[in-house]
Amino acid sequence: MSVDRTLAIAERIVRQIVRDRRSLALIIVAPVIVMSLVGFSFADQQQVLDRIAPGLIAVFVLFFTFILTGVSFLRERAQGTLERLLTTPVGRVDILVGYTAGFLIFAMVQSVVVLLFTVWALGIDYQGTIWQIWVVLMLLIVVGVSLGIFISTFARNEFQVVQFIPILMAPQIFLSGAVADVDKMPAPLEAIAYVLPLTYAVDGLKDIMLRGDGLSDLGFELGIMAAFGLALLAAAAVTVRRP
Amino acid sequence: MPGNGTNSTGPAVKVEGLVFSYGSIKVLDEISLEIPVGEVFGILGANGAGKTTLIRLLVGLMKPASGGVQVLGEPPSSRRSDRVGYMPQLNALYLELSVLENLSFFARMYGMSDKASRRESVESVLRLVGLWDRRDDPVLRLSGGMRQRVSLAISLVHSPPLLLLDEPTVGLDPELRASFWDHFRDMAEAGTTLIISSHTMDDAAHCDRLAFLREGRFVGDGSPDELRAATGRDDATLEEAFLHFVRGGQS
Repeated sequence: MSVDRTLAIAERIVRQIVRDRRSLALIIVAPVIVMSLVGFSFADQQQVLDRIAPGLIAVFVLFFTFILTGVSFLRERAQGTLERLLTTPVGRVDILVGYTAGFLIFAMVQSVVVLLFTVWALGIDYQGTIWQIWVVLMLLIVVGVSLGIFISTFARNEFQVVQFIPILMAPQIFLSGAVADVDKMPAPLEAIAYVLPLTYAVDGLKDIMLRGDGLSDLGFELGIMAAFGLALLAAAAVTVRRP
Repeated sequence: MPGNGTNSTGPAVKVEGLVFSYGSIKVLDEISLEIPVGEVFGILGANGAGKTTLIRLLVGLMKPASGGVQVLGEPPSSRRSDRVGYMPQLNALYLELSVLENLSFFARMYGMSDKASRRESVESVLRLVGLWDRRDDPVLRLSGGMRQRVSLAISLVHSPPLLLLDEPTVGLDPELRASFWDHFRDMAEAGTTLIISSHTMDDAAHCDRLAFLREGRFVGDGSPDELRAATGRDDATLEEAFLHFVRGGQS
């Protein structure tokens, strides 16, 4: 692995997104609009909002991260820049780590916007501390970034990558415990829920925000999410050379 | 300028019995060629003849179904790709970034981690392609010809001994095309091997040696003069020679 090449890739992604002012603005504005809508729709049901907030935060962070990464990486393929990169001595690990680091910065910004807006603007009542919530979200972002890169290798254009959103996101949204409790689902759906990374993020956030658990109580959930992130990055490394 | 680091004895490129298919469609069929160091070799063919596929195989972006490819003495691999400069047909540039940023980025990808020497190389190639004064402009604001020059500069920035250029002059005005060929000639004189794909006879005339590609097979190869002479007519043009070969020897 080359640190200079990895850094160069991460720097380049940050530069590209920062130069594209409209995209940069949307990265911040989009989560605010979505979370405002959620806030308005539960305006008279604060207790319900408090209960579903952990699930909503996790869902939207994964959703935004996946779209940001999937579409950006696909654009690299469509413009031929990824292929050109692959004709240089750069290694797959440099590419994957560089891209992950670059996208991570913007995904982190989005997650902070989602989290702080939900907590302060929507005024939800929560236990635990913000930094502990953010640690769980960071792991979820790694999952979202690696999932976005991996999936983009199977899409030929933006339209196709968008088609992956319902296929990959809908089961996670409905089965992860964000909408309905996992342990009250029919057994086959419950089994599916436990192979979805979002389930562990929602579990972890509920434990912190609703029950006041600390990170030390979430070793299992954090470990599973880290394993998902690493496995997806490894899968993306295998498929990144697909022409 | 480029020219160092080639294998001192063998050819720059050696291809033997190369076959490549997309599914059931055979794109390249039993291609063999040997290109000595310092030669300007042209691959001529109509659209869809297999030129880009051949270049992509030489640069290591694809693997052949069968046959052997040796580039600078070894099979194409990312490990030694710092010795090869590749200019794809699609310019493949980061549009939001400046000319300088594009060049610096690819220089770092080629392992030029020292800032001072990188800056020197980038300046040298940008002056060569006449874009030093536009170095801070985003690529997005450049014309098509300028973007092609940026793309060419990227393929030169690490001073490779072998250049693989996929239709580098397509869409260029005559003046710019002539200036590209001046660069190519200078590089060849400095010892760089150039492999250039094209479908225009104007490019063909500048090459030391040519191979005519038709439906994945070489149907003729030699110097421009040899190919013209093979038509049996003293006054034959290269275009007539090309048609002679692709029509199976019938003028």
